[in-house]
Amino acid sequence: MHEIFVLAEHRQGELRDVTLEMLTLASQLDSKVTAVLLGSGMDAFASKLASFADRVLVVDDPMFANWNAINAQAALVALINKDKPHMVIVPNTGQGADVLASLALELGASFTSDIIGLALEGDKPVATRAYYGGKINGRIEFKDAELYMVGLREGAIPAAEGSKSGAIEKVDNPVAADATDRKFLDYEQPAIGDVDITQSTLLVSVGRGLREDKNMPMVEELAGLMGADVSGSRAVVDAGWLPADRQVGISGKTVKPKLYLALGISGAFQHVTGMKGADLVVAINKDPDAPIFQYADYGIVDDLLKVVPALIDKLKEMKG
Amino acid sequence: MNIVVCVKQVPDTSDPDTEVHIDGTGRGVDQSKFSFVINDADNYAVEEAILLKEKHGGEVTVVNIGSEAANQVIRMALAKGGDGAIRLDDEKFAGSDPVALARILQAGIKDLSCDIVMTGCLASDDGYGAVGVALASLMGLPHAAYVKTVEVLSDNKLKIGRELEGGLLEMDEIVTPCVLTIQTGGNEPRYASFKGIREASKKEIKVMDLPATGLSEDQVGEAGSVAVMVQYSVPEVGDLAEILEGDPGETAGKLAGILKDKGLV
Amino acid sequence: MSIEEGTFVQKYDLLGCIQCGRCTGGCPVTVRTPLNVRRFVYDTVDDDVLEELSEKPEIWDCTTCNTCAIRCPKGLEPFEVLLGLRAMRAEEGNIEPTAITALESMFNNGNPWGKPAAKRMDWAEGLDGVRILEEGEKADVLLHICCTAAYDPKIQPFVGKLITILNAAGVDFGLIGEEEKHCGSEARRLGEEGLFEYFDEENTELFGRYDVQRLVTLSPHCFNSFKNEYTNLSIPVLHYTQLIAELIEDGKLELSKEVATKVVFHDPCYLGKKNLVFDEPRYILSKIPGVETTEFFRSKERSLCCEGGGGKMWVESESKAPRLAETRVADAHDLGAQTIAVACPFCWLTIEDAIKAKGYEEEMQVKDILELLGEAL
Repeated sequence: MHEIFVLAEHRQGELRDVTLEMLTLASQLDSKVTAVLLGSGMDAFASKLASFADRVLVVDDPMFANWNAINAQAALVALINKDKPHMVIVPNTGQGADVLASLALELGASFTSDIIGLALEGDKPVATRAYYGGKINGRIEFKDAELYMVGLREGAIPAAEGSKSGAIEKVDNPVAADATDRKFLDYEQPAIGDVDITQSTLLVSVGRGLREDKNMPMVEELAGLMGADVSGSRAVVDAGWLPADRQVGISGKTVKPKLYLALGISGAFQHVTGMKGADLVVAINKDPDAPIFQYADYGIVDDLLKVVPALIDKLKEMKG
Repeated sequence: MNIVVCVKQVPDTSDPDTEVHIDGTGRGVDQSKFSFVINDADNYAVEEAILLKEKHGGEVTVVNIGSEAANQVIRMALAKGGDGAIRLDDEKFAGSDPVALARILQAGIKDLSCDIVMTGCLASDDGYGAVGVALASLMGLPHAAYVKTVEVLSDNKLKIGRELEGGLLEMDEIVTPCVLTIQTGGNEPRYASFKGIREASKKEIKVMDLPATGLSEDQVGEAGSVAVMVQYSVPEVGDLAEILEGDPGETAGKLAGILKDKGLV
Repeated sequence: MSIEEGTFVQKYDLLGCIQCGRCTGGCPVTVRTPLNVRRFVYDTVDDDVLEELSEKPEIWDCTTCNTCAIRCPKGLEPFEVLLGLRAMRAEEGNIEPTAITALESMFNNGNPWGKPAAKRMDWAEGLDGVRILEEGEKADVLLHICCTAAYDPKIQPFVGKLITILNAAGVDFGLIGEEEKHCGSEARRLGEEGLFEYFDEENTELFGRYDVQRLVTLSPHCFNSFKNEYTNLSIPVLHYTQLIAELIEDGKLELSKEVATKVVFHDPCYLGKKNLVFDEPRYILSKIPGVETTEFFRSKERSLCCEGGGGKMWVESESKAPRLAETRVADAHDLGAQTIAVACPFCWLTIEDAIKAKGYEEEMQVKDILELLGEAL
């Protein structure tokens, strides 16, 4: 049975969800799944990963307290050369993408990045990638190699429940000296209270369908529950219900959230142009012919003043 | 501080009305209804390079792999403040994956002395986000991906901010020469006026084909790639929104379920 | 900065100004913004402060509605000074990101809307009677569609109406097709003189390829640029209202169906104040059976701008005061008008927004004259 290495990702004391997504994917490939955990003080994470992997390989050393591509690559090269897995999955994130190509080249691996699906056909992996902003998919085949590597897009594979009980194996840090060419300094949090909607992951965006200023708190409550920021159409900004820096559209900001929840926005193309980069668009509008539905993935034809309170209730229920 | 900045010309598929149609070969798309622009992240890389040049001196060289049509984006970068340009153009480069592309770029810039090589962190058409890091590896240089802020600390040291998920900045020190892949949003790309572009047309764009790079055919294109896209397909999604039916309680419930399934709440 | 000594003084005849203040006195945007155009005419005499003046945000508040020029007793065009300042900013590349997007699209795609040139004729899909001219082909009228009409789904239907009307009247006309380009009007108003000159050259060459008698535009903005700003265009230029008025007068267009509505005509600035075309649109409206017309208090030379021109589609004012289009809609409401008739894509878009903002959707509509004509045919 082939072995698959999965590079666990953690940051500021939290294991990131993409780790479980990668382990879920690896588990679907009929292989021995090894989670590789580089960090400092990793016992709790190791125990958690044990239920998602057949083996958890831990390098617990202060050198790995924070991400450093050079140190990580040196450690991974040593671990991979020793155990010779068939495949390595890294997250296609700020950490994984910081190391995937250089690690693969050093190891002579065949690799591709930002995959959304993966299968084994015989011994060889076949990957699915998204092209042109997700408008089409492509099938990726690899050149024959001893080792294959992929970077998995965050959120592409839903994480399953962990049903394994892998062994935790601590190994000595194989990296002799801390990197000098690149050093981690610290983290800087984005300014709080000063929302830059161009950087928002989730946006609840309101239009004229909100009808009155006094309905705004309802929208803010919904956004608060979702951890989303609030943006709006030109009409809403004009009306003074939102500050100008929350305006989406040609004369406002261009946004690229994972979710754009459009409430009472008709979808003039001057507006749509500003939100075209959103991954998922959900529109609530009482006009079934509103152009926004042409750009939405999901739509609800109804008054937002009725749907939003119901949605708030459902989300509260879900959160218990 | 000499900087090489790599730019790619891409179809502007961000327009909501842009349709992407797979062509007869199944391995390409119909490009006849596209408009072409500089890749978004590369535009920020150009601006970052020019800001550093304005502050610390040096030269900015614009490098591109593309046909003559790509002169458009090269000239815009030159108009903004680029000093010279190299365009790597050979039909044998077609089908290159990030490794082959990085190899071609490396061959194109090998004679330049530079302190920083910049690329955009991601191309909007194929989205690999791997060329810059591969290039660093081939050049034997340290690198950092998703760089949003760059500050010069000394002759051979930079302080950079890498943008991680959720907007968190990871601040690092990195020595030069190095390769940085630049994220969008860290600066405000300037406008290249038409007059400036016309002026920039006088600057030479050095064109290099495969023999000029010194590479062999099996190092570029599909032959030089480690992974190859063999077949496009259409993802299963409808054109119009899927309308959720029912009274407000039902539609809200369905929506909440969808958001939960997609990990958005 | 490459502004030469005394450039503004000479270019805009600044010393001809007597500082009477009629420009600012009539400027419609002064109710919304700190813009004082008289002050700019005064200050730009001093070359040393041009750079500083170009940094003032209010230079972008001007809608180039031409009111100041029409009121100037000395025949100056005060607002052109603001365009000169914008040009300094554009040349430095230091302009609003939204304006950059529009200008880059003009350069890359030949339109400001970020749409591929290859989709310029998509509006014609399924339409009969659309003839794309070949090089050297003969026609009486060369019809120029305009970027907004070609790409904005809300405006696209008017083009079809115009095609139907011209065919019904037996007009020998043809179109350029996908090669049609932006007129350059909005490029110039966003400060991009160089890009405007490019469109001047390109379009003049393009129009010269055909054996046509007249150039007819859908938008007053294209009309104005072709007619007044292009350097070497010799072909006569008409706005569509002029051509249609002529067709009605000559008995070539029969308007038979009743369109029962009370209409007030909103003069587009680039048709009215800029080119003094006041009568033709009103004549057309008077010939539509059933149409009852009324007039704004501020009409013709005194017409209130809708704020759609002057590059304002891409650069917002910071003001929170009601938009001029909202004032216009409120005035129309007071007059009991059911329809605000326009003859310009920008006017249509800004007034439609204003009707929504005022919550008058049930009581009134904005309609291009082409829509009313379509109903009457």
